[in-house]
Amino acid sequence: MEKRQDRTTGISVKDSPWRLPLAPVLLLAFSLLLFSSHQAFAIQLITHPGTEKTEISRSTARAIFSMRRLVWPDGAAIRVFVFPDKHKLHKAFAKQLLGVFPHQLRRAWDRKVFSGTGQAPDTVQSEAEMLEMIIRTPGAIGYISEDNRDESVQILQVE
Amino acid sequence: MNRYRFCKWSRRLVLLSWLLPPLAAASPLFGDENLQIHGFLSQGYTHTSANSWFGDSSNGSWDFRELGLNASYRLTPQLQISGQLLSLTAGEMQDGSLSLDYGLLDYNFANFDNGNLGLRFGRVKTPIGLYNDTRDVAFTRTTNFLPQSIYFDKVRNLELSNDGFQIYGDLLTDWGDLLFQAGMGKPVTDENVEYAYLGNDWQGELSGDLFFLGRVIYELEGGRIRLSATIADGDLDFEPGPTDPFSNGTIGIQLRVLSFQYNAEAWHFTTEYMQEDVINRDLGAFRPDGDNTAEGYYLQLAHDLFSDWEIIARYDVSYLDRNDRDGTRQEAGPFGIPAHNMFAKDWTLGLRWDITPAFMVRGEYHWVDGTAWLSSRENNLLQTERHWQMFSLLASYRF
Repeated sequence: MEKRQDRTTGISVKDSPWRLPLAPVLLLAFSLLLFSSHQAFAIQLITHPGTEKTEISRSTARAIFSMRRLVWPDGAAIRVFVFPDKHKLHKAFAKQLLGVFPHQLRRAWDRKVFSGTGQAPDTVQSEAEMLEMIIRTPGAIGYISEDNRDESVQILQVE
Repeated sequence: MNRYRFCKWSRRLVLLSWLLPPLAAASPLFGDENLQIHGFLSQGYTHTSANSWFGDSSNGSWDFRELGLNASYRLTPQLQISGQLLSLTAGEMQDGSLSLDYGLLDYNFANFDNGNLGLRFGRVKTPIGLYNDTRDVAFTRTTNFLPQSIYFDKVRNLELSNDGFQIYGDLLTDWGDLLFQAGMGKPVTDENVEYAYLGNDWQGELSGDLFFLGRVIYELEGGRIRLSATIADGDLDFEPGPTDPFSNGTIGIQLRVLSFQYNAEAWHFTTEYMQEDVINRDLGAFRPDGDNTAEGYYLQLAHDLFSDWEIIARYDVSYLDRNDRDGTRQEAGPFGIPAHNMFAKDWTLGLRWDITPAFMVRGEYHWVDGTAWLSSRENNLLQTERHWQMFSLLASYRF
């Protein structure tokens, strides 16, 4: 956990000079703000209870959520569920767990959908709906805030 | 375009925009999670200070429309079939008739821990640079008109899609992802290709032979940095009609594109560079054998404001002949084509507003020096004006 937060803060430090040029104090405040807002949304990857995997690499997680990785190692279809682009959980998920910005995911999906080379993920509106779909759909993967973790889904750790 | 046609079209658009979303929303109701339906519709308005672009634009033109509808179905976890119908209206260049933009089978046959491999065949989108795969979807472009140095609209069909096959794969490493596509296919050419390379729509036919097409993309951190190299190499064959001035010959084309993109949270910097060799062979006395290399590049900066607005600035440069960038040799030549038809330097400023995730409007202003990318179907190249401006407004809906 410690490592992940450091990494997230690292991203913001790298980008912030563009946002707030020559303002190291603001930069620090901004980083702290980002750090604390992430504290409030600790995110957990979850899968359908029948899935064998308990751990995946960040690059594989990215390939799955970019809709480039289509099947689990046993050959079953991966079904991806996400919240809308502007949902606070989606933003936190993209940045913390995948290390990307939501707009990068959106572009990857659009490229797939409008060139016939893939499909878009399914969108859910609430954490209750997310849990329901993950439980109901074999091969499903999604994410949820740690506070709403549920025994009935499987937890997937990102290495 | 007259008012009657515009009214007729706008009514159709409104009708479509009411019909399509329920259709798309209904697709899960068909009971099949393997089916997806998506689409887009855009309507543009173009006004130029001189010259014609996407219609009679110096009087204000509504002749810019993009309608697309696609469906995809996952037959098995690794096998997908998909197709997209497209209607594009672009002044004299495209008349809005329906065409199959792509229609293909995609078999993702091998999955490893650190990547996968697959095969596509049918009509596939031609992989060129960073934008070509979805060039007609306004949401996926940064501007209403893509940089013409690389994504030519006057010969768009040469780049658009091809009938053939493609091998593709991803390789995930600790230092980023490598995505590649390589294949062979015949470009789906049309009369615009003839206008661009032979100056007219002749009785005979200019058709695409088998092209080799390849692209490699390197992505760091899921696309924070994207680097890409493209190559497209093949021949266009001309089969003359009885009265045509050219003989049975070929035009060889080799297109090379290098691309770089940096995506921060709210800043996006993109630059691409292109060279295109055009090699004329056996076309007869009116088009002596010869080689020529066109060249182009652009630099583009986009900044997201608040969460729904984006401001865009770009400088885009095209040369039809890199050994005659200022066009003086062309002007001194037998046809006396004015020098400014050989280049175009386009400064663009744009503003995009995403009113909802599905509805967007974008306005942009172009200051252009040169007319290299104007079509001879819409302009008499002897009478074009060198310095001109363009305003473009576009509304787009997607689902």
